[in-house]
Amino acid sequence: MAGKLNQILVNSLLAVFCGLMTMWFSHSFEAPTKAAADYVNDILSYPETPARELRSLVQAADNWVMERRGLQDRARALELENIALRAALQRSGVLRPESTYGFVGASVTLRYPESWWKEVRVNKGSSDGVVVGAPAISEGFMIGRVSSVGSDHAWIELVTSSAFLLAAVVVDTWDLGVINGDDMGNVWLMYMPPDKELSRGMLVATALVGDYLPPGIPVGMIWGPGEVRDGLMPHRVASGARLTQLYNVQILLSAPEERVP
Amino acid sequence: MIAAAVVWLLQDLSQALAMGIMLVPEFFLLMLVYGIVSSPIRQERISLWIWFAFAGGILWDFRWAASPGMSSLINVGTVIAVYALWNRTPLAGRGAFLLAVIGGAAHFISGMIHYLAWATPSHAAVRMFIIQQLLGVPALALMCLIYAFRKTNVHV
Repeated sequence: MAGKLNQILVNSLLAVFCGLMTMWFSHSFEAPTKAAADYVNDILSYPETPARELRSLVQAADNWVMERRGLQDRARALELENIALRAALQRSGVLRPESTYGFVGASVTLRYPESWWKEVRVNKGSSDGVVVGAPAISEGFMIGRVSSVGSDHAWIELVTSSAFLLAAVVVDTWDLGVINGDDMGNVWLMYMPPDKELSRGMLVATALVGDYLPPGIPVGMIWGPGEVRDGLMPHRVASGARLTQLYNVQILLSAPEERVP
Repeated sequence: MIAAAVVWLLQDLSQALAMGIMLVPEFFLLMLVYGIVSSPIRQERISLWIWFAFAGGILWDFRWAASPGMSSLINVGTVIAVYALWNRTPLAGRGAFLLAVIGGAAHFISGMIHYLAWATPSHAAVRMFIIQQLLGVPALALMCLIYAFRKTNVHV
């Protein structure tokens, strides 16, 4: 009896020790932990396929109803803008450029509660043409950037992450700033002088910064000013996409000749 | 244990289905509790349950949580605590009510630890926690009903 109780005690202590070591290891060594998580995710993706498909179906139906009106309005606005831009190009004698970009649709397969506002994992990877740095878009607005890529999956760093930094421009005023998150679900346009008068609703879009990120991708709308710090005033940006309900995203792919190694 | 493995997979599939909407109840944890109490306590099996709980927790953490090891510790702690409590309770006291108390406490404490471990507690996180706990009640009730039924008919 005592021997068996000791056996239970030894196994309990050993299991607790292993658990603590795993926690320590996962906090100390992020890369192998993520690799192990990806491995487990890949294995479980097979039995989870029916559940994922069913979820996608339900969400697609839900999104279709909810987004239809918004997308119609947006398409109308883009058409009008396109007409105006074409007219301007024609007047200035510039030939209409052909787009070298494409989209790949991806489903969100993982979003840790602990890093809800930092990153998501999607089911498209390098075999689909996804590269590190490519912008991820939802409902026409940039929601993040690919931070790492596997052959059949990718991790997207969200605009709400405090580690996310992106050069952006206020389209109406051409003021430049840097988009940054706060890990709490907010997006900020940083480094704006306090004397800049930005109104609520002004569109914020990506600025020309090279690599895989073309300028002009909408990020969100100016919501309101924050507190002045070090002589600069951040402005809160309301994302155009529903960041709390990210189920499907589109990742922008550039043509091979556009890519910078 | 096969049933517990199936329940783990069921919980995983449920979470895959409900991802982004809610956290599913901890069916696997409840199954661990049920597994410990539903069969005559054979001490040589407890060690197996401990490692089974550990493995289930590790897999769950690698799939759904950013801090692998936490669920393993919770599961192992639950198995040890349930074993100790159940083993020290007189036979007359081992009933569905005690199981409900133990299972409910385990489910609540586990959910609370996960909630506190989240980097950014928010209204959405509180809502998810409450929904998870509420959805755990029917699972807990079902577990107790099955236990009571088996105790009456099979004399576990």
